[in-house]
Amino acid sequence: MSASPPSDYRSAAVTGIASPRLQKSLHGLQERFGKGAMEIWATMEDQEMRHRVKEARMNTFAHLDIILTELAENVRARGGQVHFAATAEDAIGYTLAVAKRNKVKRVVKGKSMTSMEINIDPALQGAGIEVVETDLGEYIIQLAGDKPSHIIAPCIHLDRNQIGELFADKLGIDYTNDPPTLTMAARKALREKMLGAEMGLTGCNLACAEIGQISLVSNEGNIRMATTMPPVLVALMGMERVVATLDEHREALQLLTRGAALQKLSTYVSFLGGPAGQDDPDGPREFHLVIIDNGRSKILADPEFREVLACIRCGACLNICPVYGKIGGHAYNSPYCGPIGAVVTPLLDGINKHADLCKGETLCGACKDICPVENDLPRMLSALRHTLAYGSDRWNTSQHSPGEAAVYSLWKLLITHPLLYRISLRLGRLFQRPFVRKGKMISKMAGLARGWTEGRDLPPLAGRTFAEVWKKKYAANRPQPSGSVNQNKEGS
Amino acid sequence: MDSQSAFMKTIRQSLGVSADTERPKKLYPALFTNADTKLILQTIKNRTAEQQDELVELLQANAQALGIKFHVVRSHDQAAAIVVKLVRTKNPEFTHTKHIIHHDHPDLAALQLWKRFNREGITVHTTFSPDRQLHEKTIASFIGITAPDIGVAESATLIQLTKPGCPRSTSLVPSIHIALLKSENLVADLREAYALLRQEAQLDSFVFITGPSKTADIEAQMVHGAHGPREVHLLVLCPQPAEETANEAKNPSDTAGQQTTA
Repeated sequence: MSASPPSDYRSAAVTGIASPRLQKSLHGLQERFGKGAMEIWATMEDQEMRHRVKEARMNTFAHLDIILTELAENVRARGGQVHFAATAEDAIGYTLAVAKRNKVKRVVKGKSMTSMEINIDPALQGAGIEVVETDLGEYIIQLAGDKPSHIIAPCIHLDRNQIGELFADKLGIDYTNDPPTLTMAARKALREKMLGAEMGLTGCNLACAEIGQISLVSNEGNIRMATTMPPVLVALMGMERVVATLDEHREALQLLTRGAALQKLSTYVSFLGGPAGQDDPDGPREFHLVIIDNGRSKILADPEFREVLACIRCGACLNICPVYGKIGGHAYNSPYCGPIGAVVTPLLDGINKHADLCKGETLCGACKDICPVENDLPRMLSALRHTLAYGSDRWNTSQHSPGEAAVYSLWKLLITHPLLYRISLRLGRLFQRPFVRKGKMISKMAGLARGWTEGRDLPPLAGRTFAEVWKKKYAANRPQPSGSVNQNKEGS
Repeated sequence: MDSQSAFMKTIRQSLGVSADTERPKKLYPALFTNADTKLILQTIKNRTAEQQDELVELLQANAQALGIKFHVVRSHDQAAAIVVKLVRTKNPEFTHTKHIIHHDHPDLAALQLWKRFNREGITVHTTFSPDRQLHEKTIASFIGITAPDIGVAESATLIQLTKPGCPRSTSLVPSIHIALLKSENLVADLREAYALLRQEAQLDSFVFITGPSKTADIEAQMVHGAHGPREVHLLVLCPQPAEETANEAKNPSDTAGQQTTA
């Protein structure tokens, strides 16, 4: 993900909050899918399933070398080719070589986050290959030259009018804002592309090592098309996207489709484990599985963050997060947005580079509650903040804000020395005077503190501390609970 | 293999185990152990006719909720009548001529579709495996007919195994998918379906189909027919209840249907 520029979290967040259209879409999304998923987890008969899947995921990681070896052996036994790519460049190089060897002119893509993570499109296009996204949402994004803003609903930030104008412009159809008509226009345009492509490029939702198959879920059928019609298939798979057994597959799959879209199963679940048989009129003649590390082994090595690899990319945490629900996906500046993005993007692409992401989340815990595999994202967000506060050799992270660190050192000094604390309070009362608006609130501060008052007011320091009030009025008497509240108010 | 060894070495390093020593799977037998499926397979096998009927009802409710058009048929003739009606009344989406295609499967051969349209401009293709023109024939067809290997009542899922004569495009490329499922191939839930799939795990491909193709990418409004079939018709072939069989034993066509389903 090194290709993405540094985050501009703040300005993108401000833009998102200011867009009534986005606010409406996100509200609708969260009302339906966020609440829906919580309802499913609450009423699910098998209340142990989430826990079991999480345990199985963690056990898989502890034996990942064995399980990936088994997967590769079983795929190869059917004549499939497996390539292990340590880096994004490696994965791109391999895929490009396959495309060139087969004289590919057009690649049709099934929705794949990993392909975006490694940023493979420019490399293919640079080699003169046409790259077509086939998921309707991703296709719209591609036509618009935009970026996805949700893991499952990539064009949630666009409304029907914008999409209507886009299609009129790019597909040459008469303007309409009717979703069925627009969908049919894309269906027709993409069908031509899919039937005539030489190569399909997909991700992998869950591979099953025991049977040597990858599995892909979709509702549209685009992934089935991309894996059935072109003669060459390349599937890109993050190395953690594997389960050992069919039992584990079944349970993880059920959590995935429920978490993603409240479905018992998505419309299609395709299992693929090698090239098509000789008698098969369709299906790929060449099957390539590219298993990608690209920073994952580093996450695997850190007990603090290993858990995040258990994520099954259902996107449920986006559908409940109060921060994502306001700022939208673009602010995260990554294919992985929302709470999961705030953890995984810095780990894959640089903690300093994406420092705003973990600080922007509220640690309210909603993402942990909704996560089908019970990932403790708030804990990991805190751990990232800790890494930023103190720096980390393991993560090649420098202390993010020496200014902030200095402020906290000063604070530590003050609160451990009562005399200093009291003196500084008095000074504070003095210095705040020019900022207190009509004796009520501070609405503008300077320097480091400026950010605080940009979107909200701050109550000024009280004239007297609680201890001072107490000492003066009550220390000699018994406390009078009924009166004390009022007295306190007066005192402040 | 070199990139693989290096890759595995990195993983072992990350896990804090000896990086240079491969860990063979036989030392970790618990890793690839599944729950015993014997009991599940027995449950499927010993299901009574009444229990099977209940599953059909459950399938119907779940299928209809997903927009699948559901029909119970008692014989191949009844099934053929529904197919014929659909072929006659529906219009092709991408072509001007009516071609239909069906899997090379005994239950579909029993529909005898090839002889039901001989006075109409309707072409019936079968996906015989040596046919080199199947790709074109499939693209030209507006209806694809398959006989799924497994049905799952709990989620209204059809499981289609890719086998010679049963390619994957038949249930994907045509605008309308008609599936003929024998009720005896219907199981209760995914757990049962996976137990059956375990026996087919050497296959290079299979697919779960749960309803018509759909998308909600534009303002979360549901639209059927994004890329796959926009309509799915599910015909469940149920054996006739015993008393009906006795009553209608005189009717030769029904008896024929009964014999094939039994």
